[in-house]
Amino acid sequence: MQTRILSVDDSRTVRLIVGRAFGAYDCKIYEASNGQEGLAVAMREKPDLIVLDVTMPVMDGVTMMVKLREDPALKNIPVVMLTAESSRDNMAQIGKLGARDYLTKPFKEEQIVEKAARIVALQKKR
Amino acid sequence: MIQMLNFDQIRKIMEEHAVKVFETMLSMKSSPCAECTFANASERVSSSVGFAGDNVIGVVYLHVSGQFAIRIAAAIFGLASDAVPAQVEANDIVGELGNILAGGLKSHLCDLGFSCAVSTPTIIRGTSFGIESVQGVERMFLAFQADGDCFMIEIHLKTQ
Repeated sequence: MQTRILSVDDSRTVRLIVGRAFGAYDCKIYEASNGQEGLAVAMREKPDLIVLDVTMPVMDGVTMMVKLREDPALKNIPVVMLTAESSRDNMAQIGKLGARDYLTKPFKEEQIVEKAARIVALQKKR
Repeated sequence: MIQMLNFDQIRKIMEEHAVKVFETMLSMKSSPCAECTFANASERVSSSVGFAGDNVIGVVYLHVSGQFAIRIAAAIFGLASDAVPAQVEANDIVGELGNILAGGLKSHLCDLGFSCAVSTPTIIRGTSFGIESVQGVERMFLAFQADGDCFMIEIHLKTQ
């Protein structure tokens, strides 16, 4: 069964990198360019994992996280947050939001796969 | 507690961060160099990311030539330079690189007590433009060479 991953980032570049990272695995990748779109896609598709950027226009990652946790239908979807900032305050905030894990940009494709594999089952494509 | 800003330390941190960003994201080796000029470039592409907090404001610019922007996009997409689809793709990538560079500076400032938020990136493209600062703003220029091209990071910073 395909693992469903939602990639939420305003940068098409990052969404490309995340999508490509899982290219060797039996995954269905959904994309959204901000938190508002991300919530709509999450509600519609019920992904197994969300890879979520922090800084985005329209609705940022923090707000999307809060809304995910408020929705009974979405609150149990694990989230890996992507951030360009590794300050102590930022890391503490990410921890408090309930993200399962985080990754600091820049990152290699194998790093996001490694993080995801600790949370969801990833099957290699045959 | 807010510590004093050490601009030599900021330079060192940003140089290391930039080299890591280009290596990790683009598999490009880069290193600091004395200067970077766009005199022979047909176009310059610059991303800008602002940051602002109670005690610090500023902007981080990433300047590349139009040609290097296409080369960077090709590296990300895994394509030949002449197969890169559109200008907008190069804009997005230069913007994201600027975002990550600004994030590195923000992390350092926050850890020193200068908490701040960053803006989303914007892109400036043109053949001849200059960026000037207003009074009281500290400016830093960091030049890098990368496989025959060069790029520059420009930081405007003001504590208050």
